[in-house]
Parts: sequence; C-alpha cells; structure tokens
Amino acid sequence: MSLPEFRLLRPSTVEEAVRYLSQHAGNIRVLAGGTDLIPSMRQRLFEPEYVLDIRHIGELKGIRQGAEVEIGALTSLTVIEHSEFLRRHYPVLAEAASTVASPLLRNMGTIGGNICLVTWRKGCGFCIKKDGDLCHVAPGGSKCWAVFSGDTPPALLCLDAHIEIASSAGLRRIPLREFYTGIGDSYRRLEANELVTRIFLPAASADYRGIYRKLRIRGSIDYPLAGVAVVLKRSNGHVKDARLAITAVNPAPMLIKAAPQMLEGKAVDTNLAEAVGDLAAKTAKPLTTSALTPEYRREMIRVFTKRAVLAAANN
Amino acid sequence: MSDFSIIGKRTAMVDAAGKTTGAGKYTDDLTLPGMLIGKILHSPFPHARIKRIDSSRARALEGVVAIVTGKDAPNPYGILPVGHDEHALALDKVRYVGDNVACVAAISEAIAENALELIDVEYEVLPAYFDPEESMKAETDLIHENKLHNIEKDYHHVFGDPEKAFGEADYVAEGRFIANEVTHAAMEPHSTLAAFEIDSHTGKPGRLTVWSSTQVPYYLQHKLSLVLDMPMAQIRVIKPLVGGGFGGKSEVIPLEIIAAIAARAAKAPVKITYTREEVFWAHRGRPRSIIDLKTAVKKDGAITAVKARVVQDGGAYCSYGVVTILYSGALLGALYDIPNIQYDGYRVLTNKPACGAMRGHGTVNVRFAFESQLDEIAARLNLDPAEIRRRNLLKPPCVTINGLRVQSYGLPECIQQVVERSRWKQRKGQLGKASGLGIACSHYVSGAANSIIRSDMPHSTVNIKIDRDGGVVVYTGASEIGQGSDTMTAQIAAETLGCSLGRVKVVAADTDLTPIDIGSYSSRVTFMAGNATLRAAEQVKKQIASAAARKMNCAPEDVVFREDKVFRKGDTQGQSPTPLEPTQAAVSVSGRVEGQILRGSLQQKRKEEGQKYFLTFEEAVVAAIDFHGALTGTGSYAPPPEARGGKHKGAGVGPSPAYSYSAQVAEVSVDEDTGEVTVHKVWAAHDCGRALNPVSVEGQIIGSVWMGMGQALEEEMVWKDGMLMNPGLLEYRSPSSTESPEVEPIIVESVDPEGPFGAKECSEGSLAATIPAIANAIYDAVGIRLHESPFTPERVLAALRARKGAKPINLTEGVDPTAPRRFREHGGALWFRGKGPERHPLDPARREAADAGGDD
Ligand SMILES: Cc1cc2nc3c(=O)[nH]c(=O)nc-3n(C[C@H](O)[C@H](O)[C@H](O)COP(=O)(O)OP(=O)(O)OC[C@H]3O[C@@H](n4cnc5c(N)ncnc54)[C@H](O)[C@@H]3O)c2cc1C
Repeated sequence: MSLPEFRLLRPSTVEEAVRYLSQHAGNIRVLAGGTDLIPSMRQRLFEPEYVLDIRHIGELKGIRQGAEVEIGALTSLTVIEHSEFLRRHYPVLAEAASTVASPLLRNMGTIGGNICLVTWRKGCGFCIKKDGDLCHVAPGGSKCWAVFSGDTPPALLCLDAHIEIASSAGLRRIPLREFYTGIGDSYRRLEANELVTRIFLPAASADYRGIYRKLRIRGSIDYPLAGVAVVLKRSNGHVKDARLAITAVNPAPMLIKAAPQMLEGKAVDTNLAEAVGDLAAKTAKPLTTSALTPEYRREMIRVFTKRAVLAAANN
Repeated sequence: MSDFSIIGKRTAMVDAAGKTTGAGKYTDDLTLPGMLIGKILHSPFPHARIKRIDSSRARALEGVVAIVTGKDAPNPYGILPVGHDEHALALDKVRYVGDNVACVAAISEAIAENALELIDVEYEVLPAYFDPEESMKAETDLIHENKLHNIEKDYHHVFGDPEKAFGEADYVAEGRFIANEVTHAAMEPHSTLAAFEIDSHTGKPGRLTVWSSTQVPYYLQHKLSLVLDMPMAQIRVIKPLVGGGFGGKSEVIPLEIIAAIAARAAKAPVKITYTREEVFWAHRGRPRSIIDLKTAVKKDGAITAVKARVVQDGGAYCSYGVVTILYSGALLGALYDIPNIQYDGYRVLTNKPACGAMRGHGTVNVRFAFESQLDEIAARLNLDPAEIRRRNLLKPPCVTINGLRVQSYGLPECIQQVVERSRWKQRKGQLGKASGLGIACSHYVSGAANSIIRSDMPHSTVNIKIDRDGGVVVYTGASEIGQGSDTMTAQIAAETLGCSLGRVKVVAADTDLTPIDIGSYSSRVTFMAGNATLRAAEQVKKQIASAAARKMNCAPEDVVFREDKVFRKGDTQGQSPTPLEPTQAAVSVSGRVEGQILRGSLQQKRKEEGQKYFLTFEEAVVAAIDFHGALTGTGSYAPPPEARGGKHKGAGVGPSPAYSYSAQVAEVSVDEDTGEVTVHKVWAAHDCGRALNPVSVEGQIIGSVWMGMGQALEEEMVWKDGMLMNPGLLEYRSPSSTESPEVEPIIVESVDPEGPFGAKECSEGSLAATIPAIANAIYDAVGIRLHESPFTPERVLAALRARKGAKPINLTEGVDPTAPRRFREHGGALWFRGKGPERHPLDPARREAADAGGDD
C-alpha cells in the first residue's frame, strides 16, 4: 500500500513542535523513529493531514545523569540497550530495550515511541479499533481490547519512571503508571496537542537487580506475546523491595500491585516464586492473536514470572 | 573429480554480483514510458455472487485510465488442462477473501488505490466452507457447480494386496497426522509489467510483451494466449531476475493476466506488484493435510503394507491440486521397499485461497506422517530408528509396486553418513535432560517424467551458438529463479566444450529468443535442461572436432577439448599443469584477458602456421566456422518411456527419470516448562547424483532444512471465517537467523546413469525429512509424539502436560461461549480447539484432551 498523502512538519525545538501540535490538533501525528507510525499509516490505520517529524529536536536525544536520570524521548533503543550506565544501574531497562524487534528497528525506534506505541496493528478486516463495530478477539463486546505490546514500559513501570509531557500550555509530569488507561482504542492519557518529551528514572530505583523475560516465537523481530519485568533489591538474603510488571497480555502494561508485599522480607524460593507467578497470571487477560492461545500465554506469564523472580533473587 | 575442469568445482553463481550490488533488475525495477500502475480490487467475502459492479465513480477520478472486470476477459484458465476453473477477474462468483474482482490502471499507485474504494460491488453472500471434512459433506452452494461435494478430485489406489498384508502383520501402527497450511514467503512479491505495441496504422493493441516474476514463462505465454484470445506468436514473455519462487510462481498467478487485460484496455503499459498481503492471498502454498496412516510391519521391522487416507484442504481453485494429491500417494513409493500400498486421496475445495505447488510438492506432509510413524514402530519393536530404515531399503535398479523406476539410490550412504557424523550410536538417548536426536529420510523427483500438458514434445530444448572469437551463447528456456539454473547451464556448456566459464553467456527465459522449456518446478531443470544443454554442446563440439581434426591431422574422435584448448588425445602438449588457473601461458594461448577476447593478430598469426599439435579454443572455433559456416547446435530432452510409470488412473504423477535421496539427523532440546523447542544442529545428507556445483548443492540443502524447520516449528497460516489472520511477514513467522540451527550439509554422489554428468535434483528432496527428524528428536528428548505441525510451544506443552499427568492446560478455557457450533476455526485450531463438530477419533486435539483428562 502506498503511504497516504500528508504534509511533513519538521520543528527543531519543543516549542515549535507543540505549536504545530495545537495548531493542527486532531489532524496530526508525531513521528519519532517511525517504525510504528509508518506501517500503521500504510495500513490506513491513520490518515493524518500533518506528520510532525520531531527527529531534529536535538535536546530530546540522549541520557543525562543527575539527581535523577533523564532520558530524552528521541533516544534510540540501540543507545539504551548499549548504555553502560543503564546496564549497570538500571539493567531491566537495557534488557527490555534489547529485545525489541530487530537490530535495524532498534536503530530507528525510540523510547518515546515505544512508550506511545499504538495498540494492535493489523488490517485484517475492520474492528472497533478502526472504522468497525465488531471485535475480532472478544466477539460480542463493545469495548476495545486491542493489546499493548511494547517491551520497555513494564521495565519502566518497575523503575517507577515518570514522564514529562509538553504542550503549548507548558510542561507537566506524571508517573508512567498513570499514563495508560487500559482501554484499547484510547489507551494513553495524552491530549492531541501534547508531546512526550522526557523519561525520568528516580535515583531510588537505581541498582535494583532486573530481569525482563519475553515470550515470542522467533528469536528476533517478533513483538512480545507476553512479557514480564521484575526488579528486586535484597538485604541479608531477603527481599528488601521488589516490583513486577507485565506486558502484551492486557490493553496496557501493568504493575502487579500485590507482588511487592508478597515478596518483601522473604527469602525467595521456588514456592514463593510460583505464588508470585500465579498472581501475575491472574492479572493477565490475554486475548486471541494469530499466534499462541490466550491460555498458553497466561500460563507463560506464570512460568516467566517465576523464572524472572528466581533469577533476580538468586542471580 | 580430476576428470572435470568445471563440473564439481565450487563456482560462484554467474549472476551473484548483479544481485548483491543491486545492479540486477527484477520486474518491479522496470519502467516503461507512459507506464500505469495497476491495483486489484479483492473480494471481502469468502463466497458470494456478484450481482452488480458499478465503476462509474472510480472512472470519474482524475488519473484513472482504465478499469477492467471479469467481462473484459471471460475465458477460463488454470495451470492444469483438467483444472480450467479460474478467471483472471471474477465473472459471477467470488470464492475466497482476496479473490479478484476488478483492476484499476491509473497514473499513480495512490490514485489507483483511491479508485478501488470508489468501485461499488453488490454481493449476494453465500454459505462458505472452511474445513475440508465439512466441505466434503456439502450438497448445496457448491464452490464450483461441477464439483460434487466440493471434491476437486479423489483417487483410490491399491497396489499388491494390502488387506492380506495387514492381516499377516506382527504389528500395525495407526494414527492421524495433521500438517497445517504453509506458504512460500518468497522474498520478492509477484510483479508483472505488460505492454502492447500499438499498431501505428490501426491504433489497436498488437503484439504483447510481458515481463513477469515467473517460474514458467512458457505456460504464462500459453495461458495469456487462451485468456486474451491471441496467438502465442504474438505474445512475448520475458522473465527478469526472480527473487525466489518455491512453487509460488510455478503457475499463472492472477496478476500476470490482469496486467495484460488492463494494458489492453488502457492502451498503455501496466505494472502490477502485489503487496505482501496480496502475495498471501495469491498463495498456492502447501495445503493443510489430514493424514490417516496405517503401517504393517513384521517383527524384524520389515514394512509389509501401508495404507494412507489423505484429505487436502485445497482452497477455492484447482491449481496444481490434482497433481498434489497424486504425489502424496505416489511418493509413498520409491523411498523404501513397500510391497503393498493402499492410497485414498481427496483434494477438497474450500473458500480460501488456492493451494498449489510448494517446495517438496505433495510429499512433505505425508512424509512427516510416515517417518513419524516409522519412529513409533521402531520404539515399539525396540529397534534403532536408523536400523529400521536400513531394513527397508530398495534394491535398485528396480520398479516399485506403484510403477516408479529407481536406478541410482544413495539412501544407504546418506543414512550411514548422518549416523556417523552425528555420532548417533554413541549419543542417541544419551544427551541428557530434555535433549534428543531424531532421524528421518525423504526423497524427491528430478522432474516429472510426464509433463502436465501431456504431449510428446521434449521437456527442454537448448540452442547454442558460437561466435568467431570463441564466445559461447546458450539459449535456454530454463528459468533462473535464484536456484542457480543459469550457472548450471553455463557450467555444463563450458565443461562439454572444454572452454572457460567466462566465455559462456546464458540467454534464458525469453519466449521470443529461447526454445521452449516447461519451466522451473518439480526440480527438473538440472536433469532436463541440463541434459538438453549437454546435447546441444556435444552437437557443436562435434562440428568443432571435425574441423580441428583436419588441422591436427587426426580422427575427430581423438580430439580432446579442455581448458580453452583443443588437442589430440594422449598428447600432453595441450595439458596445462594447473588447470583453470589463468597462468600467463593460459592467458596468451587462449587470448583471453579479463573477460575480453583478443582478436586479430594472434589468431591470424597462428592460423597461418600450418599443421598444429593443439589449437586454442578460438582457433578451433574459427576453423569450424570456416569449414561448416555458422556454428550452432541444438539439444533437447524428453524422459525415456521406461521412466514414465504404470497404467493406472493417475499413474502419470510420481514417475521421474531419477530420484534424489536424503537422510537427516536433528538435535533438539525442549524447555519442559514452556514447550519451546530449540533445534541445535541438523546433519543433512543428500544424494544429488553428482554435485555439479557443490556450493550450490549445499546452499539448497541448508535452505531446504531451514524451510522445513519453519514448517516444523513456526509457520502456519491462521484462518478465521476464511479470513487470513496473519497475512504478513511479521505475523506469518518464517524463522529468523537467531533460531536457525547449524546445518551440516553432506553431499552424497550416486552418479545417475541418465543425469547430466550423473546429476539429480538437490533443491526439494531434503525439506521433507526435516519435519519428522525434528518430531522424532522431540520424542527422543521428552517422550512425546507430536501429530500436528507446527510444533508450537503450546502444542508441545499440552502434550507434555498430558504425558506427565501434570495439570493440563485447557486450551479452550477462554473461548467465547457465543461462538457458533459449527467448526469455523482451524489452521491449527488455535482458538476453538475441541469445539465444533465431532472430530475424528484419532484427531490429535481429541487425543491430547482425552489423555489429559485421564491423567487428571
Ligand atoms: C517488524 C516490527 C517488529 C516490532 N517489534 C517490536 C517489539 O518486539 N517490541 C516493541 O516494543 N515494539 C516493536 N515494534 C514497534 C516499534 O518498532 C517500537 O515500539 C519502537 O520503539 C517505536 O518507536 P518509534 O520511535 O519508531 O515510534 P514511531 O513509529 O515514531 O511512533 C509510535 C507512536 O507513538 C507516537 N509517538 C512517538 N513519539 C512520541 C512522542 N515523543 N510523544 C508523543 N507521541 C509519540 C507516534 O505518533 C506513533 O503513534 C516493532 C515494529 C515492527 C515494524
């Protein structure tokens, strides 16, 4: 399919970018790496009149260390994957980034784009998500169940990341966990005139052990069919603090809220890891896709959680 | 192979640089002045009557030049003479989601796409059939009026006395196997550019030229002539570079005719390139096959009878279906010695894209079933799986019970090689937790002995012309599709003529220039076009020899051609100590420097010198041209009558002048918590007769194993109500490099008495062994027998849970309760597994469910 026609806008500052956004709100799409937007446009999921190419906003690129860690929304996944600093202090994020798509797509794809990744993507007939009134995966319902399939958000949720959002009204900052709605066709709390500009990792989240486990059929390219991120800090062989999040099995990436209490103060053994796995599996609501049954994927949330918890607790 | 200077050497493909640098041109790279882009409107319904098409709104769109529908070319066609059931654009009915309804030719792709949305089509939706076993019960709303019960074709073969053999067997194994649907996924999407010469006097479209990504230019020329009502002589088909076919381009694909119809209407060249989604709809891949297999053996493992019932889900049109269902039965023979065979094959129509030929055409799924069952039998009889295969070898030369002639037979050596190299005896069963080895064998035809067009004409003809400077031009209809046919042709010509490879230029697959060849499919090219090339080269060589003999004062039979020299037999003068190396001497003697031929002075000087002890190739050529006039030769090949098979109905499919053989050992490990299977290594031995180009043979073996592994573990077309749910390379999961195992290709050379220099096929036969080798390795690793491919993690896990009596995972737990009772989902039965109509008692889904329940 050909790319629909659009006007390309290329701002070089955030101010310029948000001005365009409010000017054309509702009729404009942000292009960061383009690895998600361009295929979606070819499939006519969107046909905006304007495309805002933010790749020339230099200040949104790169990782800055300070009281907290600041990652520009335009930082490529390759940079995150290979950052020595992140690998040492926030390993779960570097690992999650390294599993996205393929090396070429990680060179182009950005962390901001990964967070804002559009749910569901295939044009095999119309559904609620696009022009239709029927849901292929949960027939009979009127809620959109389009699944969120980004790899880095569960890691970022575990790290208690915050994001900075810019608009012509100024900057606001929210915890990432408040960003997602859990509804497939309006999955993120981002106004049409807003831009995600930065991601912040609190210093308090540094130096947790971190593990990301991803279910996919191929060793590369595939989106996650289920994903589990765990971060954990120990003292004296016991869990001091831990967080767990899952992705690709709900319309939003989700923190498993009860997991920290379950783990805190305990020495992790197989039984405990299994119990946490059961908990995570209960939260997962995977739906039909063209690969692997929902039941299997929920089962893998259980297995992967158990494995990730054990690995994080015992190296 | 010191007897050869070019054959048997590792030779880079003659078109390699063009492809790797991007200089090579594929169809979609071509443009013509005034060229339009064509886009096809596809049916959104699996089965519907077209009541009305109104394209007036689309026609009014600026930039739209022509819109064509079924009425513009109503003649039916199909690749098989018995299967002319397709129309380029639907006439009255659409039969699958993606069927072709109309085509817009416009000045840009975007305009053509927009115009499609303005075409109004009124459909009357009809009940549709998606499951072959359901479809076979159909009484009404048949997919094609003349195909009762939606059965395209069924065959019932009995050879020997299977009933008696089953009665006398020591052990009978029985099982149902399902191989889900897969497709070729060639890298290049189909593309066609069609242009009419507009007669400058009448202004009407005259001669037609079509550039197309095809494996079969001559069939395309023929079908175009049928549908467009034009003489074949008025149609020229040219095949540019093709980026892979694997069978997906081995018949006429709708766009190839639609482009021509649109070009005729628009009076301008029209190019159509499929999107990836359209490639999936065009399909012609390997059908989902339901195989009920029964094998009788004696205590010692000797197979006494085989009974197979195969139902293939063929999709909405015949395509190669009749051939596929026949291959599935015929190729039960010619691998092992099986004295009694019963085969019942049903090719069934359903409202999905048509299946057709795909690498290992017809044999792959049945081989998966057979080799898995043989492994079960070996376990049951406590025999080594390699040994049971050895006990059932053929004793060639022979003719099998179903009429297949086998001459060269490298299977014993293939088995021996993989057993040795994998250290099977030491390692089988010893690999430790959840790791295992599995073995399986397969075979394939080196071209069909009977062509699908049922005529006595040669299957391949090749012409050769040699110019005064010693440049050799080979004209062949054989279609290079990436498999290396041009290189093979050049090698055979150069070896036969004793000239260097660089002298040979291959002109291929242009129906105006090259003599007829039926195409690149059924692994026929090396055997048949190779033999034709050999014969053409020998004919020219004879002419050169007679002229050279006069110059050298000897008998023509005593003239030897080698390394760009022509000399007398026994005369060492001509032999250069280091063959092929372009030493200074060789360069000056051959007069050939870096691809250029030095003319004139050197030739002239030596020409005047009187009697010679040797001649350079050019001198010999000049002498021959002076003596005979033009220097041309022609050769053709038709399979010998002895190889053409028996007399029963359907006997035409299966016979081949020679069969390739393969044995493989796969090493896998299984994650018992997730069901994920990792293939670590595959040892693949393939008997290709003689390896004309070892590097190319190895490439084909590795590619076959890789493609087989895709079908074994990952690839599967998933359907929902006739809609393909994974029509893209992201969702249709061909393996990526990360999970591709190490493949150790092992070449076995049985030197076939009829192949060119003894060569047989090497590009398809290996694929079929990979799937059961992996299945058998999984059994060795964790003791589960998988009856349904691909062996996705969930299928493996479900089987593991069932075996262990652990908590079974209920694969239908989350299924929507409002789902219709009718079985609508398959292609792996991913969603509604166990639901719907009664499944066959041996259906693997049932069996697992039953086992799981029992253990609970
Ligand atoms: C073959 C393939 C495989 C893939 N596999 C994976 C995978 O395994 N895991 C995975 O997580 N992803 C995968 N992806 C999706 C994608 O490549 C990544 O998610 C990538 O990180 C997206 O980043 P981008 O910069 O390219 O996003 P873009 O395509 O530029 O943008 C994505 C979306 O976010 C919006 N957006 C981008 N940046 C901002 C911003 N700063 N503020 C507001 N909105 C913004 C865009 O408007 C768009 O809607 C895959 C994609 C392909 C094509």
